[in-house]
This record gives sequence, C-alpha cells and structure tokens, in this order.
Amino acid sequence: MYYIDLAVTGVSFGCMYAMMAVGLTLVYGLLRILHVAHAAVFALGAYMTVVVANATGSVGAGFLAAIVIAPLFGMATYRMLYEPLLSYRPDVPMIASVGLLVLMQDAFRIVFGEQGVTFRNNIYGFTTFDVFGVTVNAVQIAIVVSAVVIFLGLHLFTTRTRIGIGWRATVSRPKIAASFGIDSIKVRYLNFAIGSALAAVAGGLVALLNNLVDPVIGYVVSYKALAIIVLGGLGSVRGTLIASLALGLVESYGTIFIGKWLDRDAIAFLALIALLMIRPQGFAGTRAA
Amino acid sequence: MSAYEISLLSVIGINVILAVSLNMISGFCGQISLGHGAFYGAGAYAAALAMIGTGNVLVALISATLAGSLLGIVVGFASLRVRTDFLAVTTIGVNFLFIGMVRKQGWLGGEMGISGIPGSGLGADGNMVMILLFAAATIALSLYIGRSWMGFAFRAVGEDEDTAATLGINVAAYKLAAFGIGTALAGLAGGLYTFFTQFITADAFDFILSVMLMAMVVIGGIGSTWGVVVAAIGLTLLPEAIRFVNDYRLLVFGGLLVLVIRLAPGGFAALARTVAIRMSRP
Amino acid sequence: MTAVLQLDDVAIRFGGVRAVDGVTFFVDSGDFVGLIGPNGAGKTTLIRIVAGVLRANRGRIALAGHDVTDESTASRVRKGLALTHQVVRPFREMSVLDNVVLAAGYRHTSSPLRAALHTDRRHESERAAEILAQVGLAGTERKLAGALPLGQMKRLEVARALAVDPRVMLLDEPLAGLNQAEAAKQVETIAAVNARGITVVLVEHNLEEVMRSCRRLIVLNNGRVIGDGAPRTVMSDPVVHDAYVGTGASAHVEN
Repeated sequence: MYYIDLAVTGVSFGCMYAMMAVGLTLVYGLLRILHVAHAAVFALGAYMTVVVANATGSVGAGFLAAIVIAPLFGMATYRMLYEPLLSYRPDVPMIASVGLLVLMQDAFRIVFGEQGVTFRNNIYGFTTFDVFGVTVNAVQIAIVVSAVVIFLGLHLFTTRTRIGIGWRATVSRPKIAASFGIDSIKVRYLNFAIGSALAAVAGGLVALLNNLVDPVIGYVVSYKALAIIVLGGLGSVRGTLIASLALGLVESYGTIFIGKWLDRDAIAFLALIALLMIRPQGFAGTRAA
Repeated sequence: MSAYEISLLSVIGINVILAVSLNMISGFCGQISLGHGAFYGAGAYAAALAMIGTGNVLVALISATLAGSLLGIVVGFASLRVRTDFLAVTTIGVNFLFIGMVRKQGWLGGEMGISGIPGSGLGADGNMVMILLFAAATIALSLYIGRSWMGFAFRAVGEDEDTAATLGINVAAYKLAAFGIGTALAGLAGGLYTFFTQFITADAFDFILSVMLMAMVVIGGIGSTWGVVVAAIGLTLLPEAIRFVNDYRLLVFGGLLVLVIRLAPGGFAALARTVAIRMSRP
Repeated sequence: MTAVLQLDDVAIRFGGVRAVDGVTFFVDSGDFVGLIGPNGAGKTTLIRIVAGVLRANRGRIALAGHDVTDESTASRVRKGLALTHQVVRPFREMSVLDNVVLAAGYRHTSSPLRAALHTDRRHESERAAEILAQVGLAGTERKLAGALPLGQMKRLEVARALAVDPRVMLLDEPLAGLNQAEAAKQVETIAAVNARGITVVLVEHNLEEVMRSCRRLIVLNNGRVIGDGAPRTVMSDPVVHDAYVGTGASAHVEN
C-alpha cells in the first residue's frame, strides 16, 4: 500500500513538473535560452491564484487570473530581457534570467510577506478520497486530470489547427518555417504565453495542494525543471513529459534509499549532473547543445 | 576601530577574495560558475574540522585551500564536458549537492552546523589584518595573471576554445588551471571566514550567495580585476549604508544584475573605459 | 626524406556513409598542394581529420614522421601543423595585433605553468607586426579583429597560421567569399608563404586560382583519391572530368 501511495505522489508530482517544465523546454527549443526565470512565472501563478481566490471567494477566479497574468509576464520577459540579448552567447541571457528570478522571489517576499499566503477557504486541498485503500487528495487528482487534458489539448492544437502547426514547425525548424511565411515573432510570443500559462496552472495547483505559497516556492522547482528538460532532451516536449514523470517517481521512491545521504531535492541535481557528464546531449533526440 | 568597523572590513576582505577568484574562472577564462559558494563552503568546513582537530591555524588554512581546489578541479573536469550555460547549470547543481549533502552529515554538524570553533588566537583585529593581507595578495595575483601569458591564453579559451586550440593552446589544461586557482582562493576565503565567525552553517554557502558573487563580477565588469574589487566593496557596503537596501538585498542585487546585463554588459569597468576614452578626446 | 604530412588509409563513416574511404597520400616538404573535388567529395571531412577535430575510424596520420593520429588539435599545432578555417574565426574582442601575438607566443603558452611565469610580449609583438606586414595588413594592428572586412579577416587567419612557425599549413577554402581581386591577392600571399619553404595544402572550389598556383593537385570523389599529380595532367584526366561534370559542380573546368 505504501508503495502505491508513493506512486500516487510520484505521478502527481510528475504531472506538475511536466506542466512547469514544458514551458522551459519550449523556450529553449525556440531561442536556445535557459529561461530560469520561468520559475518566477510559476510562483506568480501560484500567488495570483491564492490572492484572487481569497479576494473573490472563488478558486476558479484565482486560476483565471493566473492564466491571464502569467503569460503577460512571460511575454514581457521575452521582449524586455531576452530579445535584446539574443546575439550574445547563451550564458548571458541565462545569468540575466537568474537575476530576474532572484529579484522576483524577493519581490514576492516583500509584497506578500516572509510567511507566504494561504487560502482562506481551501476545500479541495483537504478533500481526500479512498481509492482501493489508498488515500488520494482531490488536488492530486486535479493535477493529473489537468495535465492529461492540457497536454491532449496541446497535441490537438499543434496537429489540427493552423496556428498550432505553424508554431510546432517554428519550434523545431525555425529557418524553414520562416521561409514558409510563418511569422517567427508571433510564434515567440505564443511560445512564452502558452508556456507561462501552463506554469501558472501548475503553480495554482501546487498552492492548493500545499495550501501555502511562500517566497521560495519557485527556486526548487526551477532547478528540477532544468534537470528535466536536459534529461528529456532539450526542445522535446514528449521527452520532457516522460522525464517529468520519471523524476516524480524517482524522487518519491528514491527518498527511501538515498534520504539518509541527500536532501530529496538534491536527487534531481545528482541525476542532472550525472547525465550531463555521461551524455551531454541528453537522451531523446535533441538539438545541438 | 570599533568592533563593527573591524567586522565590516573583514567581510569586505573576504568578499573581495571571493569575487576576484570567481573573476579568474568566469571573467578571465570565460567558464561560467554559478556555484562558487560550494568551494567557499568546502574550505570553511575543512578549516573548521582542522581547527577542532589540531588547533593549528596554518594547517587549517592549508586544508581550506586544498579542500576548495580539490572540489574545484573535479568541477573543472566537468567544464571539459559541458560549456557555457550547461556548465552554469552544472555548477548550480554542484552548489545544491554540496549543501544537500553537508546538511545530512552528522559529523559536519547537520542542519545545526559547526559551532564553537577554536579562534585563531589573533583576536578580531588580528583576523581582519590577516584577511586584508590575503585580499591584497589575491588582487596582486589576479593582476599579475591578467598581465601574463596565462591570462592571455585564458582570454582566448574564454572567447573561443576551438580557435584557441588552433594556436596550440591546450584548452583542457587551462580550464583546469583556472578552476584550480580560483577555487583554491575561494577555499582560502572559507578558512578565513571560519576564523572570523567561529560558527558555520551550510546556508552561508548557498546558491543565493553564488548569485551575489556573480553579480559582483558582472557589475564590476567581467574580466576586470579592479572593476570587480570596486563592485565587491560597493555591494558589500551598500546594504550597510542604506537600510532600504539591506531589507531588499536580493531585490537590489537581482535588479542590478538584470540592469547591468541588459544595458551595460561590460559592467562598470567597460563604462569607466568608455568615459575615459570620451574624456580624453579633445 | 620524410614526408611532412602523411596519410595512410584514412577512413571514416557517419551512419551508413563512408565520407572518407581509404585515403592515402603524402606531401613533401615545400609542396604546394590543392585538394579539390566536387561537393560532398569528403574534402572538408578529410581536412577536419587531419586537423584533429574529427577522429578517423581507420588509418594513420603523421606529421614530419611523428604519428599524430590520436593527438589533439593543439598538440598537432605544436608539431608543425597550422590551420585556417573556411568560416573565419578571429578573436573578435582582441586587437588584430593581439590575435597574432598570441599565436606567436605558442612557446610560452605550451602549458599553464609556463604561461604563468612569463609576462613579456615585446619579442612576440615585433614578430607579429612583421607578419602582419607580410600579409598586407600593416596599419590595422590596433583595430578590433571583429571589425575587419572579410578579405582582411582571411589574411589575419593566414597571419596567425604563420605565427606558429608551421611546417605545413592547411587552408580550408581560403578564397571563399572573396571577389576576384581579393582572391588573387590572397593567392599571392599564400604563394609567398610557400616560397619561403612552408608546405601548403589548400582545399578550394575556385579552380581557376588553384590551377594557376598549385604545383600539385589531389582530387577527391566519394571519399577516395581519384587523381594526384600536376594540375594540367590531373584536370585532363577523363575520370576527374566525369566526377565534376557528372555531379554538376558549379566550378568550371578549364582544359
């Protein structure tokens, strides 16, 4: 039973990581930039969800607010920070991104307080179901369901709609797509918008699950997302999904074995470093690193 | 001098050593390291254990320097496998792994850290003098390297390693040298820190510190020894001088980092050069 | 007399393709060799193997008698090889002079320890200025290398290659991107280098210039050597003619 418990935790974390990491891999695939500040988008989404939910009494309104605000922030980050730095070597925008993350996390601390914010009325976070003897939290179910729905939706979007197909083409073959007349600038904004919206949803769900959003919520997830996108193959959405689930499960089961030696969060880093040393280009087919 | 002033100068001295040593790795040689805190921490812990074990200041400082550079050389090897932003990610990982592991080891004090470390016997002002002397030596070393053929080769490796190889430069050896020297100095700074505080916890060497050190290097002007020294002093004094900055420290550091990269990627050193050129025109 | 550059049955495959398929030739000291062939013949791959950027699956490479098959690029440069790239890569942030000074200081940069012990650059600076004058770049010393026009950048590449006191210079498409006048000047520079006793091997598509300057042509097709000898002889060989015409190469062949 315990092992199934761990599986449930692992899968729900994995789905959450996936929603967070996909945005990161999309930006990398398109612009070759490690958008570390993506974690700030995640945190922003989490904060917005709680704050608006508390103000309006509706969690749904909170999510809506997050999904609207986060993409704006993401697109603004592209326009103000990354676009002017595209001609520099890749570590320059990355360091700027790190600076932005640090800035934002401290801004959250200043605006919302060191202790963070909690939901005033979090029915979901405390509702549990008994499924075949295993206790499952309503939010965990919501995470998995959201992930499935979202990724299915994305899949349909990128294979059935004109805009979606154009977007997918540009992410994988920017120059060829440009010669087909696809506006790469619009695609970039779309990229950041969708990635940020996904991260915001992930943030809101985590807020519900933990019933708390604090100023450091972004850090840990950001580094794990970095590990995931490398593991899954930079720029590959499918790889990211697989790696996210894998990390969620490994972390869940791994703490049993390694918990004595390492912080749970450090496991992701161990995996990342090991992978980068053994096979710097990642696992699934990637673009040149 | 008041106790506060002594303490402040000590911290400035340590930050100067840290920033200048990071500049050797990331500025001179172009190997972006966002985990400098790990080498600093390795040195601090090594010094702490050595002091508790032997009570000998020299042994402690040497252990600190060695610990920093041993970890540094290992990371240096990583720089042979991955470049630029992935190297940066790896160094972040090393920083986190270091903290993550240290926090779990009972013999390293676990979450509580190591306290009651024997003093150096020099007293607070003696420590300060020792720190400032080492800081001066570090600056001198950095200036010398910058002027030598080693600095010349470092710059080539940092800018374009493949082309550097066509000039007969053994890129791997130089990367390892940069890491080895820079991290040895960081380890030394860790040892000095241990004498200064006589109490260490893993949190003092975390990723946030590494980011602040990188901010000093970027803001000062990546590659410029004096620029980095000025930035280190300035950014250490700023939170002390302005209460607002102290409360919003990360906001300010992060903000400055973003602004400088975005508007003046060469940092203040480049700005100073531009001003100097403009002023020298008739 | 030992050949200054010797290739012995060198081969490499990518996936299923044999990009280089058993190439053997040797170059004597003082030779001026043009390595030609239609697009996709394997010339660039072969050059990269000789340069040490790629490792061959089979065969051996020797520089002045030393087997360098398993050695790095930097190590080969120290054994007498100099390279220029098709896509020029000067150190853009350094001055033109510094680019050459660094190359000229190869003795000092042989190891980090040695490099740390030396700071004096006067000798190398003088030498670099001389070399820059030789390649026709006198007066550009203070400019940022990144600010030079293409033609001058290509000459800077040659200057850097000269500065390492090579025995053999490997030039990858030194005329690419140059107009007729610039190309002719570049060839003059290279010929002057060869006249001083440095062996030159160049890969080129510009057959006109190659025919005029090289004393020997080696023709590659499908990863194999299909011609090796004096330019006139090689170019009138029907096998060579077929290789070019058959693949519709853009270069025109003079008979």
